[in-house]
Amino acid sequence: MPTLQQKNMETWQVVRDRVLLYVRAMDLPPFEGLEIALESLKQANTYSIEEAMNSLAYTIEKRGLNKGVLDAQGEHIASIPSMNRGVMVSKNFDRTPWLTALKIFIHRWTRDLFGPSRTR
Amino acid sequence: MNVQENREIKWTRSASWRRIILLSLIIVPTITASRYMAGVLPYKGETPLEIGLVVVFAILFAWISIGFWTAMLGFLVLLKQKKSFSLTSDIKNTPLDIKDPEAKTAILVPIYNEDVHRVMAGVRTTLQTLRNTGQDQNFHIFILSDTTDPDVWVHEETAWYELCREEEAFGSVFYRHRKSNVKRKSGNVADFCRRWGKSYRYMIVFDADSIMSGVTMVRMVQIMEQRPDIGILQTPPAAVNRQSLISRVQQFANRAYGPIFAAGLHFWVLGDAQYWGHNAIIRVEPFMEHCQLPRLPGKGPLSGDILSHDFVEAALMRRAGYGVWLAYDMEGSYEETPPTLLDELKRDRRWCQGNLQHLRLIFTRGLFPVHRALFINGVMSYGSAFLWLLFLVLSSIEAITEVIIEPQYFPSAELALFPEWPVWYPHWAITLLGSTVLILFLPKVLTILYITFVEKKAHQFGGFIRLCFSVLIEIVLSTLLAPIRMIFHSRFVVMTLAGRATGWGTQTRDDRGTTWGDAFQYHIGQTLLAALWGTLLYEFNPSFFWWMSPILGALFFSVPISALTSRVSIGKALKRNGILLTPEEKNLPLELKILDEKMEAPLSYTPFPLPREQGFVRAVVDPTVLALHTSLILRHRIASPSIRRRREDIQEKALLYGPESLTQKEKMELLRDPEQLKELHQRVWRIPEWERAAQWGLE
Repeated sequence: MPTLQQKNMETWQVVRDRVLLYVRAMDLPPFEGLEIALESLKQANTYSIEEAMNSLAYTIEKRGLNKGVLDAQGEHIASIPSMNRGVMVSKNFDRTPWLTALKIFIHRWTRDLFGPSRTR
Repeated sequence: MNVQENREIKWTRSASWRRIILLSLIIVPTITASRYMAGVLPYKGETPLEIGLVVVFAILFAWISIGFWTAMLGFLVLLKQKKSFSLTSDIKNTPLDIKDPEAKTAILVPIYNEDVHRVMAGVRTTLQTLRNTGQDQNFHIFILSDTTDPDVWVHEETAWYELCREEEAFGSVFYRHRKSNVKRKSGNVADFCRRWGKSYRYMIVFDADSIMSGVTMVRMVQIMEQRPDIGILQTPPAAVNRQSLISRVQQFANRAYGPIFAAGLHFWVLGDAQYWGHNAIIRVEPFMEHCQLPRLPGKGPLSGDILSHDFVEAALMRRAGYGVWLAYDMEGSYEETPPTLLDELKRDRRWCQGNLQHLRLIFTRGLFPVHRALFINGVMSYGSAFLWLLFLVLSSIEAITEVIIEPQYFPSAELALFPEWPVWYPHWAITLLGSTVLILFLPKVLTILYITFVEKKAHQFGGFIRLCFSVLIEIVLSTLLAPIRMIFHSRFVVMTLAGRATGWGTQTRDDRGTTWGDAFQYHIGQTLLAALWGTLLYEFNPSFFWWMSPILGALFFSVPISALTSRVSIGKALKRNGILLTPEEKNLPLELKILDEKMEAPLSYTPFPLPREQGFVRAVVDPTVLALHTSLILRHRIASPSIRRRREDIQEKALLYGPESLTQKEKMELLRDPEQLKELHQRVWRIPEWERAAQWGLE
């Protein structure tokens, strides 16, 4: 059976690793990341993961690191350009009767073969 | 009359004469061959069965004649080296420069659950080759995602971000994920047009595996600038990059015979060409005005969204008065083929339904005759398989009935002095077979001659001997594969017409082979069919059995044929020996070299050790991925209380049982709701039990 001290120690380790893992995942410059972790753990001073993570979230917010991915102008990054809306409406798809289609076909082909003057 | 009208009259007149020549070349031999066919039959084509046989034969003969005469005409065009109506000759000597800064072009890469790494390598290649031309300021690349897999979606977002960061491409490479993939690829492109189309004069449409050189793209824009009468300019993409036997055969066929067929096609279609859905440039304004596709009304397999949209868009563009041209001699345009027979058939299943839909469009008002003919041609791509099968079945019935039913020596009721003997002339049959073989294989022989003696490029195919050997292998393999494809295509036609709709499967784009298990599962029916068919024929009419043996043999061995042709090892072994070699394999073009480099480049470092393929988990757990994903979600609507409650339930489920417990739909729902996602993120990071936390990668 682990003693209470041992159990506390293990929890501390889990809390520490969770906070460090989060900071690592944030991909911050080395000193900044470690400073945030240290500050959060000091403030939380607890064996509870929830409290440690709350403390970390507070520190991150305080430092303005929770604003999402920003572009050079400090705006939220956009993967698309600004819109320039247009419309696309489908045209008629009505079918021509067989005979009419054939007549048009012969007329058009004659015109293509012999030029507009012959068919006029 | 202005220059454009004059030009149009000139090409339409030439095209009309050329089509008359082509039609005569098809119709006259078809009539002759059909008469021969009737003569070969025991009752000279006078019984209903024989009439059916002759009719089906005539249609099939005409169908293969189109390909034959297209190749013959292409051969003559290339032989004469007179590039009449060639679009590339006008810009050949002009500098690589787009003069008008307003001539902006969007390169569209529509994707649907694709291999993200390959797609991004392709985009990087396109970007780099464009930058090499110095004209990249005139182009923007749009990755248009219709992805429905949550893991792939997040992977696409992070890959786009990495690409933009590493290539400094923010503002020139864009990514858009569509919430609902209405009308599939055509809807995806139409959605782009509605949102950003007005900002661009042209768009170059890619497939997920398309590659085009920067020079080719700039040249395409130059042609479009010079010719405002052109609506769509299609390039003939060369098949590249595959290693399996079947794909190397297709690559070889595409590269060896392709130029001749493309030149022949150009000869008779001119400005009435087809659009193949990718590797083409489109004038955006008329496309937006005239090429929106409606849903086909009614119920059943031939209604609903138009699946093979490209042919229809080309027909509509032409109806609007713009030319659709094939730049048959343009290089630097590539695509990849399916790696296995089963993958090819999976794609064909989809295409079959799309092409059969064209039956409903043949008489659409205002379309040009060539486009109506091309619709029929599309239908015949699969219908011909069904007709061939019908022909074989009718022939077998004829052969069996000839044996089991006693001939009528006095068929007329009146008294006759002499009996009518059923006579069979084997030399007629051999002549007919010979002419069919000529139609099928002469273009291949001419290809060898053209490559060796006119182009003098046999060395690019491994030398004259290897070229001949490659053609031989291609002929053997295509002969073996044809009956297998025939059975599948016939099934697709029947299934489609019977209303069994097709799904929209993702195409496999890697060289994964077919397992023996899969081959057995999909082809065992054909083996049994061939065994039964062969036994019947051998039992009743052994001589006819031997006529049918090449077809029945291929069907009988379809399991090993399918499995072995998918093998990369065989493809590579042939490549090592210079067989089925293509010019691109011999001398890798720059753009394909760049693609290879990009494919093999090490992935950028990520501090959080979660596999990139686990997109959903990354979006929930990794704070940088979450931040990116939530930043990219557009116009998030506040969910109604009932939806919110449902999403909260999904969140609880995820927390209790881990990400694996969620369905794709549930994951998508959470990914579309930034608030829920952020909340889940916070709660996951606060999970105290390490086993549960480990499910999310927090170890």
